[in-house]
Amino acid sequence: MQSSDSSAILVTGVGITSAIGHGAADFTAALLEGRSNFAVMKRPGRQCATGDEPSTTQFIGAEIPSYSPPEGLPASILRTASLSGQVALASLHEAWRDAKLQDVDPVRIGLVVGGSNVQQRELTRAHESYRERPQFLRPTYGLSFMDSDISGMCSEVFGIRGFAYTLGGASASGQLAAIQAVQAVASGQVDVCIAVGALMDLSHWECQGLRSLGAMGSDEFADRPQLACRPFDRRTDGFIFGESCGVVVVERAGSATRAGVNPYARVAGWAVRMDANRNPNPSFEGEVSVIRQALQSAGFAPQSIDYVNPHGTGSRLGDATELKTIEEVGLKHAFLNTTKSLIGHGLSAAGASELVATVLQMRAGQLHPCGNLDQPIDDSCNWVRGRAMEHRIRRAVKISLGFSGINCAMCLESS
Amino acid sequence: MNKEDIFAIVTRHAQEVIPALRGHQFQPNQSLRELGANSIDRSEIVMMTLESLALRIPLVETVKATNIGELVNVLHAKL
Repeated sequence: MQSSDSSAILVTGVGITSAIGHGAADFTAALLEGRSNFAVMKRPGRQCATGDEPSTTQFIGAEIPSYSPPEGLPASILRTASLSGQVALASLHEAWRDAKLQDVDPVRIGLVVGGSNVQQRELTRAHESYRERPQFLRPTYGLSFMDSDISGMCSEVFGIRGFAYTLGGASASGQLAAIQAVQAVASGQVDVCIAVGALMDLSHWECQGLRSLGAMGSDEFADRPQLACRPFDRRTDGFIFGESCGVVVVERAGSATRAGVNPYARVAGWAVRMDANRNPNPSFEGEVSVIRQALQSAGFAPQSIDYVNPHGTGSRLGDATELKTIEEVGLKHAFLNTTKSLIGHGLSAAGASELVATVLQMRAGQLHPCGNLDQPIDDSCNWVRGRAMEHRIRRAVKISLGFSGINCAMCLESS
Repeated sequence: MNKEDIFAIVTRHAQEVIPALRGHQFQPNQSLRELGANSIDRSEIVMMTLESLALRIPLVETVKATNIGELVNVLHAKL
């Protein structure tokens, strides 16, 4: 992209690991085909069970099948890396090469890993394994129990020396990490900043808690997992979890002059707003205000937006509130699809994985279909249904929301 | 359990923690540190060994050992 404005902030690299595909090419193809991969979850520690007894739960989600780390990652690091850590390294590996970061001064690179308490399943398994013999708990537990072990491993493997830490914002973490990355670059703190939406590795405890809270589905589709994830559909009964890890690299146009760098989009604006509310319920006012603020910071009129990638989890109240918001802010004309309907709700990763989906659709010139959108709660929106459609996105709005009244939005313009 | 058995356990765990040591011919007068184990690696190797031996002693009782042979002696004496 030729930009006469060297201070424009660009997305110059992406990485993605998901339950439907690894890497940008596979992921794009899977999204456009409308593929999903929901089932009763099998990863050890995801269902309640005692000893060798059969599990008493059947939590549904989308799990990454047959994952193996890319070549070249140090075995010594991988040995004690959690699933979240391994997948972060793999996704970052892809984004690093995509953005050609090997030629950037390490002190001028920053890293924000979005997500908190992302390694729950690994911790739970360690607790359960060592309950009767706690003195033999591995020493590395003392290092790796913290989420910052993930940013630390990324910093070591890729030689990142500017800054590297984690950021907790519930289901908005991934997008908040991207916003933090944009701010770090805009301020000049670093030249390149990487945002990783960490894989939220839930244990059966979190699944149970989220089900009891009424946030996670599904009762109606408990026996038909492939139908359970249905954001904005009349029959939705909660979000369905999906493992993913998304990475975006951002930098100023003036810095993105390395050979082979091919920017995906310009980050035109963003906003964060809080509802001053500790609870999980959404706020129409908060969502409206954050989108208006983001549009204003981008200098975009709502009519000029042609695509919205919503938070769209499949929460009945959340979905209804979000559609009311989209109408109120004047975005109802825009094409709308639900990445979560295909990859599940990545929780900490969601905002970052969906930003990746947004820019990949920009590059592909196509929009992916919504999964299970049989009867939209509002039929008058411009849904992408049934199959992928040809459309060159010019301007997009990405929305992420989180428990405890977090609202954030970002405006992107395609390269 | 004799010292050879303990030596085999220590070296097996050393190879798990440091894959580059697979195929290495360990000698009792070698130290884990010079074989490339940093302090966390060494703690892991010793802890895995204690677990394999079901030997409940504080890690601190093993730190005086300056090589694998001395470590084996310490562990053997506690069994």
